[in-house]
Amino acid sequence: MTKDQKTLTDESKRKFVKGLALLVGSTAATAFLTTKSMSVALAHTIESEKTIAVEPLTDGKVFSLNQLKQLKSICAIVIPKTDTLGAAEVNTHGFIDNQLFHCYDKSAQEKAKQLLSLINVVAEKVFSQSFIALKQTQQFELLTELDLGIKNFSSTERQDFKLLKQLICFGYYTSEVGASQELRYLAVPGGYKGSIAYEKTDASWGSQGLYY
Amino acid sequence: MSENLYINKSNEVYDAIVIGSGISGGWAAKEFCERGLKTLMIERGRVVEHQKDYIGENKAPWQQPLRTKVDNLLVKEQHQIQQQCYAFTDATKHFFGNDKDLPYTTAKNTNFTWIRANQLGGKSLLWHRQSYRLGDYDFAANKSDGFGNDWPIRHKDIDKWYSHVEKHAGISGSKDNLENLPDGEFLPPFEMNSPEKVLQAKFAELYPDRPLIMGRTAHLTKPTKLHLSQGRVQCQARDECQAGCSFGSYFSTQSSTLPAAAATNNLHIAPNSVVHSLIYDEKTNRVKGVRIIDNDDLSEREYFAKVVFVCASTIGSTQILMNSISKKFPNGIANSSGVLGHYLMDHNYNAGASGDIEGFEDEIDKGRRPTGLIMPNFYYKPDAKRNFLRGYALAGRAYREGWQSIQHQDGLGVEYKNKLKQAGKWRFGLYAQGEMLPRFENKMSLHPTLKDKWGMPQIEFDCHFSDNETNMMIDAAEQAEKMLKAVGLNNVQSRVMHGPPGLAIHELGTARMGRDAKTSILNAYNQSHDIPNLFVTDGASFCSSAVQNPSLTFMALTVRAVDYCVKEMNAKRI
Repeated sequence: MTKDQKTLTDESKRKFVKGLALLVGSTAATAFLTTKSMSVALAHTIESEKTIAVEPLTDGKVFSLNQLKQLKSICAIVIPKTDTLGAAEVNTHGFIDNQLFHCYDKSAQEKAKQLLSLINVVAEKVFSQSFIALKQTQQFELLTELDLGIKNFSSTERQDFKLLKQLICFGYYTSEVGASQELRYLAVPGGYKGSIAYEKTDASWGSQGLYY
Repeated sequence: MSENLYINKSNEVYDAIVIGSGISGGWAAKEFCERGLKTLMIERGRVVEHQKDYIGENKAPWQQPLRTKVDNLLVKEQHQIQQQCYAFTDATKHFFGNDKDLPYTTAKNTNFTWIRANQLGGKSLLWHRQSYRLGDYDFAANKSDGFGNDWPIRHKDIDKWYSHVEKHAGISGSKDNLENLPDGEFLPPFEMNSPEKVLQAKFAELYPDRPLIMGRTAHLTKPTKLHLSQGRVQCQARDECQAGCSFGSYFSTQSSTLPAAAATNNLHIAPNSVVHSLIYDEKTNRVKGVRIIDNDDLSEREYFAKVVFVCASTIGSTQILMNSISKKFPNGIANSSGVLGHYLMDHNYNAGASGDIEGFEDEIDKGRRPTGLIMPNFYYKPDAKRNFLRGYALAGRAYREGWQSIQHQDGLGVEYKNKLKQAGKWRFGLYAQGEMLPRFENKMSLHPTLKDKWGMPQIEFDCHFSDNETNMMIDAAEQAEKMLKAVGLNNVQSRVMHGPPGLAIHELGTARMGRDAKTSILNAYNQSHDIPNLFVTDGASFCSSAVQNPSLTFMALTVRAVDYCVKEMNAKRI
């Protein structure tokens, strides 16, 4: 987390505590602060940047080791590292393996594996190398063709890739980095405001209540 | 709360037994206790303590093993039905029933989604909190077109009881002075965002008889001294309500009625007590108590009281009545009319339209408002020119798209990531909430052979939407599309769906009120026509569904019934 983001979090927390006293009066606030509500309100101390193990070392629950490595490269192309970490750095490939296993059916798992095979087949055909051995520009070029369903890819394969992109996005924007550093996360907004200023460079909200 | 709040065995004859601890049961218990009556609240499920047992609360998605989703295996084994509810997530799943233990059947070619919340607090923990009064056109609807029986009450009969519950529960909303949606005792409404304000003004100009108002909702936008004294504080706009709210900012049994009831020291609660049937004494024509099957070990016990309030949910209450068989009532207690189980209703959410709003790019809203806007039913006056009876409300809100919408676009890499980071275009939609006609043929009954693990006969539903509801949804989609185009939205798309009843989770009817004991179960005070010390005050008592979310009316009917019951007890008529 950057210094600015940490300051923002601390500030919003201070404001919340102060606001609570104003809301309920100091006596009630004292009583209230000792309840679970307060620990709930403060639960979102964003942990200092921790090292996430992102390098696949063994087979996953759905994917083989090689497939996981390939998926990691795809994550890095779809949502790369910028000012903030990208999808590969927060182990979105590991997330997808786990999520496909627990929350999707066999046919979705098979489809994902077939898509990875297809990407390798086309990589071999066009560049005579497997996908992970390609330069990043070549990977980008190949996945762009898949994303548009052109050249070596059909419209069905394009749709399958959209589903994989959705899993990558879901994994990234529900990760701590994606939701609270790339986007803005408000655990306890303190109330609803219909309108605040927004500039095009501002991040959107990463906090969505129950509904992700 | 006293230490012995929870009981298991008891020979005491209570003044009142309240079956159920949800919205209706919580109110019944509070009102009895505050009038000095020793009250036993019976709950079939486990205890859920305020704050302590909200185990899914305030967890960020990355703190949840499947990032808010629920494991397939668990869904398949326990929640095939429940998972259809929009609020079923990892943070809330423990407040939904286990479908494996709660089987039911549906008649051939019909379907019914039955959402269950069998724990202390019931569905008051899971509800959507929209709170509206019924208007006089709603109470008169059955009489006017002949479907169903006439409600034995009008708004004036229940007005002060609505006020009573609104003040305690805390209902936010604007005073809109509408002919068929009476104003209440409101806390300030939630704010509208800018596009909503502009759309509201445009609607007012183009459709003066179709106002767009802020949703009225049971959230503390500005808590009163009473609310603060109960340990409830202002809504923090997390919109994670169904996980439980330690701030007590929305109305639930746990946040509002239960602490008030417990504070009197007149309350006891028997948790894990599945009511099998009511104990009826033919000689005195009174209900004496209830037979219980223990939720955990299936042992049997009984509880006794002078009066019994059945507040076990629409289906749950009627199931208990149907399973209470005696020589005098071979088809279910209090069922001399034969209408028990009939006139089952839900609301119909099968249409809507949405589109893009141009502009407003330099602003966004902040916080997650736990309500949207509503365009109340504008068809409340009967009109033979329409090809359906009754009407619908339209609900909606304006919001800026986020990554969940933008992710479907083409693109990869830095450009794609930056696009996903930014707020997208503003969207607005209107979604129908339609009235369902009361029809004799839409019914629930006890299955002749199948039983659940407690030995209760399973419910069989035979309920479907008719052409009237379908025609209404076609009209709703057309009207919503037309209006959204007229107020300037782009890319407007409408749709009509064909989902079965149940999923609005507004089950109503099956033990209806009425003036005539030959055609109804309950009188104007939710008292059984047949048995004076038996009351049913939840959704089962409804004569028509109206369009409004019904929970506020459950509350008002319940407190009114308790007031009446205690007066009758004091007058020795009960």
